[in-house]
Amino acid sequence: MTQNTSTQIPSPAPAPATPPPTPKRPFAGHNLGTVVEFEFTRTVKKRRFWIATLAIPVVMAIVFALIYLSNSSTAASADAQKTAAMSFTYTDASGLITPAIATAMGGRQASDLDKALQDVKDGATDAYFAYPADIATQPVKVYGQDQGIFDNGKYDAVAKQLLTASAQATIGSPQLMAAASGDVKTESQTFKDGQPAGGFGSAVPPLMFLLIFYVSIILLSNQMLNSTLEEKENRVTEMILTTLNPTTLIIGKVIALFMVGLVQILVFLTPIAVGYAFFRDKLAMPDLDLSTLSFEPGTMLVGALLLLGGFTVFTGVLVAIGAVMPTAKDAGTIFGPLMALIFVPFYAMTLIISDPHAPIVQVFTYFPLSAPVTALLRNGFGTLSPVEATIVIAELFIIGFLILRLAVHLFRYGSIQYSGKLSIAGTFRKHSPLSGK
Amino acid sequence: MTLGDTAAEPLVHIKDFRMDFGDTTVIKDLSFDVRAGETFGFLGSNGSGKTTTLRALLGIYQPTAGTLHIGGKPFTPQDGARLGYLPEERGLYKKESVLDVMVYFGRLKGLDKNHAKTWSRDYLERVDLADKATTRLDKLSGGQQQKIQLGVTIMNDPELLILDEPTKGFDPVNRRLLMDIIEDQKLAGATVIMVTHQMEEVERLCDRVILLKDGTARAYGTVSEVQEQFGGTVYRLTYTGTVPASALYDIVSAGGGHAELSPNPGADETAVLRELIGHGVAVKSFTTARTSLDEVFIKVYGETHDMAEA
Repeated sequence: MTQNTSTQIPSPAPAPATPPPTPKRPFAGHNLGTVVEFEFTRTVKKRRFWIATLAIPVVMAIVFALIYLSNSSTAASADAQKTAAMSFTYTDASGLITPAIATAMGGRQASDLDKALQDVKDGATDAYFAYPADIATQPVKVYGQDQGIFDNGKYDAVAKQLLTASAQATIGSPQLMAAASGDVKTESQTFKDGQPAGGFGSAVPPLMFLLIFYVSIILLSNQMLNSTLEEKENRVTEMILTTLNPTTLIIGKVIALFMVGLVQILVFLTPIAVGYAFFRDKLAMPDLDLSTLSFEPGTMLVGALLLLGGFTVFTGVLVAIGAVMPTAKDAGTIFGPLMALIFVPFYAMTLIISDPHAPIVQVFTYFPLSAPVTALLRNGFGTLSPVEATIVIAELFIIGFLILRLAVHLFRYGSIQYSGKLSIAGTFRKHSPLSGK
Repeated sequence: MTLGDTAAEPLVHIKDFRMDFGDTTVIKDLSFDVRAGETFGFLGSNGSGKTTTLRALLGIYQPTAGTLHIGGKPFTPQDGARLGYLPEERGLYKKESVLDVMVYFGRLKGLDKNHAKTWSRDYLERVDLADKATTRLDKLSGGQQQKIQLGVTIMNDPELLILDEPTKGFDPVNRRLLMDIIEDQKLAGATVIMVTHQMEEVERLCDRVILLKDGTARAYGTVSEVQEQFGGTVYRLTYTGTVPASALYDIVSAGGGHAELSPNPGADETAVLRELIGHGVAVKSFTTARTSLDEVFIKVYGETHDMAEA
């Protein structure tokens, strides 16, 4: 092919002039905020995110509503039962029933067992109770007209109530009655190093860090894994790597994901908080006495540091997996077992609480992926010594930092390995094009 | 940071560059410069190491040996250089809207949010995608996505524009539009490095070129110099008879009454015509033409199937 003159491609119809150069901000320094804003905004703007996030509180709201309606109905039914006169007959071989009380409850003593039973069958009376001679070894027989599975329970309740009221009348002392039935309250106080120990109240606050750890890892881990895979799968890495530092990108993503997690936790907690504040009685929610909780600064600080260190380790590992694996599907094969690791310490929970020096507990305490859960549990139950806490916290932060560095390194090179799995060793080999600077 | 030739070095300076991937040497020994303000064609067959060179230049790969400088030092994004890079492997955040992605990259490149938005809307208007601003990228055609990617590349008004096969996947109309946009950047003073297999683009836009083969530069200079180096001129003739072999020329093609002859050093038109007529060839027309870059490419790479792959 030859040419006699240079070929000019005709220009298309006149196009608007290229927009003039625009004022620019200083290049470096602002990108972390830009990444955080972009990653956070694009997640919370998605309909899918809100469907997934709202699904749990909606289900909770539905359950609460059902409980509310059910409890209202039960309360109304109980009130109705209290006021409604139930006709019953009884025979008393034990001699424990007080006839006056039975009469007051709408009952009358029967003389003929067969007739009393026949009356129930015929609908002449609602129920018939046959009290045996020895109620300690023989059952009270209860016969009644069928009122449905739930309402039939009232016959047993009335039969027992009649027996209890009669016994109380016979004993004549509520204290003796309470002692006999074991219906007494106790208040415990233990001491540690001469000071009152917090007991269960002091274990709850630091264990909240364990709950936050679980919730954040479960909610965010999949997003962490996919957030770095996305750059690779979308072939956007080269644009990114020539525009901003990969460390900035990774840190920005982690911060954004943490913010997303906070939004989710807030959304999850809202119906519980609303329910507790306004419908506690109707929802049969326990009345929390927060005054019994003991917030010990040292334990709380250790819990917070363990949470942060554990979060750093898991974030680094997940980002590294995303950088090494070519697709989300491939990453899933490693992701599953990794997630299982945070539940493994629970299999040894009894041992962790009762024998913290057992070899398996020690392994779980110091192995980086099981350390956060184990150490948080031990910290909550007061079996993590200050020395152990210091070692685990230092270990988590050092390993977390190193893994995050490795994750950034692998992201930098793994994310342009579009079709295959990255060789981690290859990225460190001398003279390898993928070796770090 | 402002890019440009430094007293010691041109804008882009590559010297003694070598790149090994395991036991495979992709680039053996490569040296070339790109001067500020010029448009530079980076040519070579598939797998010749063009993209590898660009990635090493941009710090994505670590070179096995050699110096790769932009503005007198190795490139890092933190320097704040106004650089636009359109990689061979294209892609953006496909689940996001066109405008969101453009504004995001604009901000990463240092534009303020409002200006990034204004610039993006103006650009979308220019490339006939104004109505797609809020559309998700994965809902656009491949060509439309390419336009967005080019916009993202140039939105920081780059001083150095590196384009790896910019027209790949474009139809002829959009290719023309894209080349106009690149030409605008060139006229605005940008230095452009362009990897392409479209030789007419090179002849239209490039001041200088380099041809890569087997990890080394096979040709390097202005377009005219390279054309001259690989044949310079050819004689095109229509005739009857049989074109004889001769020491005066190489037969590039012959048959069907048409032939192209590449004159050997020392041979001129008169000598060649005499030779042909002397061997009984009835020459009906005879014109002199310069070797095209296409032809140079084929000559360098030897095998036409390489070109077909390209």
